Amino acid sequence: MAGISTHVLDTDRGRPASGVRIDFSMMEDGKWRLMRSVVTNADGRTDKPILPGGEAKVGQYELVFHVTDYLKARSGTAEADIFIDDPVVRFAIFDAKQHYHVPMLCAPGSFTTYRGS
Amino acid sequence: MDHPSNRSELTRRSLVRVGLSTAAVASASTVMAQGAPTSPPAKPGALTTAPTSQTGLSPRLTLHAIDNFHGTPAAGMVCDLAMLDGEGYKPLKTITTTATGRPADPVLIDDAFKAGHYELVMHFEDYFSKLGVKLPNPNFLSLVPIRFQIRDAGQRYHLPVLLTPWGYSYYRGS
Repeated sequence: MAGISTHVLDTDRGRPASGVRIDFSMMEDGKWRLMRSVVTNADGRTDKPILPGGEAKVGQYELVFHVTDYLKARSGTAEADIFIDDPVVRFAIFDAKQHYHVPMLCAPGSFTTYRGS
Repeated sequence: MDHPSNRSELTRRSLVRVGLSTAAVASASTVMAQGAPTSPPAKPGALTTAPTSQTGLSPRLTLHAIDNFHGTPAAGMVCDLAMLDGEGYKPLKTITTTATGRPADPVLIDDAFKAGHYELVMHFEDYFSKLGVKLPNPNFLSLVPIRFQIRDAGQRYHLPVLLTPWGYSYYRGS
């Protein structure tokens, strides 16, 4: 499998974060071009791959995770405690034959991302 | 203390933690074979600094960059700070971390420390390539934006960033 996939997890509550909007862009001629906006499902994943393998090519990519709305909507969360600010992950596909799983783990005060599998 | 096999074991364990392939293990061996880099940080796992408590200090923004690949502070990390102003992020300053992984001065303090939306762009690729780490081309992570909000300029904010060539973590620290 090639392409890009993601997974949004709420590590504060220990569950997937559903209903989070993700904007996916790629770098074209020095500018970010929005490819698609998707919303995470009940499992915190996207119903379709963010980037299908057939469309993968070497280049720079961007995922913007709009988690502020998600965090604010949770019961028991004070807006003043939200430190992360709709995190942006920029990364490269350096070999289009490989798969790039880019999960994000979030809580109001912390953010983690990595190349997953 | 500084036995080569201990260092090797440490590095292998950290690689397993960040989920690297055997190819990456081989590249880490290359780093060690080259010995200590000419610029800080020192060799993998070498620590000469003690933790710092900032409790009780006045409101400010501080940064700590920690290299979880080598097990050292991330020294010499170049970071561009910008603040959201209307439509876009407006550059404020460029800072470089010292041997402790911290900038010499608070990132923001006094009148410059204001509530708002901030972005700190960290130069991961330059940092790791200077240390001789073999990276793909283009590297998975090159210029890494860290976005956070200072909601109350009456409080102190500490921003630790834990980094490897394959991932990073940041949080509101203390």
